[in-house]
Amino acid sequence: MKKIYPVLFILLFFGGCNSKSGKGNNGHDIVLGKIELSNAWARPGAKGQNSAAYLTITNGTATNDTLTGASSNISQKAQVHETFKTDSGETGMRPAGNLIINAGDKLQITPDNYHIMLMGLNKELAVGDSLDLTLEFRHAGHQTVRIPVKIQN
Amino acid sequence: MTSTLRSLLLSFILIAFISSCSNTPKVIENLKGDSYQFVNTDSSVVNFPEAFKGDIVAVTFIYTHCPNTCPLITANLTNIQDQLEDTTGIHFVEITFDPKRDTPAVLKNYKRLYKLNDQFSMLSGDTANTQAVLKRLHIKATKTYPDSADTTSSNYFFTHTNRLYLMDRQGRIRYQFTASVVPPKTVISEINKLR
Repeated sequence: MKKIYPVLFILLFFGGCNSKSGKGNNGHDIVLGKIELSNAWARPGAKGQNSAAYLTITNGTATNDTLTGASSNISQKAQVHETFKTDSGETGMRPAGNLIINAGDKLQITPDNYHIMLMGLNKELAVGDSLDLTLEFRHAGHQTVRIPVKIQN
Repeated sequence: MTSTLRSLLLSFILIAFISSCSNTPKVIENLKGDSYQFVNTDSSVVNFPEAFKGDIVAVTFIYTHCPNTCPLITANLTNIQDQLEDTTGIHFVEITFDPKRDTPAVLKNYKRLYKLNDQFSMLSGDTANTQAVLKRLHIKATKTYPDSADTTSSNYFFTHTNRLYLMDRQGRIRYQFTASVVPPKTVISEINKLR
């Protein structure tokens, strides 16, 4: 019986390291073992102006992580912004600061809460174009995803 | 029937009649007689609201450097247009509150990038006309600077009112909504009441 324990230990260890599907706190499928960027898209924008990117970030690792920055291959700067409402009802936006994504959880960056603002486009972004968006995480480091330009309808 | 009963019955009928009439929306602002001069994306001069007299107009306020809320407003107008069974006699008007940067050429490009057709008018005006119409329609747009130490920069954003107005054929504002989030079906239902 004692000989089984090392085998069980090895199986459990490697089983735990594999990427596989599980359920996050909000009940959605999560790819375990890595930070996953999905459902990403960006808005059109004229050269010299701004665009905004949206996506879902899934933290399938065992560690809480923090989104600390962003960049893209088509803008001078990228920054995570949040939308807010003033006491008198006007809409504005401001830098969101660092966003924490708990282990096994998701952060959905959607038009009604956050956006990754692509500031100072180096070229026009039209429907059908694509761009590289890079997000920087405290633990997972840089993660890049290629995303399409779409008009939200 | 006693005279008291007759009076009560008449009062009831009168109240029921008044209630049925109140389905007609009240006038929020009457712009009949107002005139604000703007330029459209084809450089033609547009006197707002006379230029749209006889049509129902969905009016919103945007600026093209806005990456999030204003494109949502534009997309919502497109959704309304797409979901209307009959778009005859309807105009979609977007007035910029950033005329310094939103020239007719810039607005023309925005119109192209967002695939808006000729039922959309993107209007830019001088500061006086822009401020006058914003004030008249209770639209606030306050500049904010990413670098708060440099308030002379041309790099600025706005904290702004997020509103969609429906104007009837006589230039009277009859309905108002939160422009970026109002369900298209809600707006379409009110447009049909104005037809």
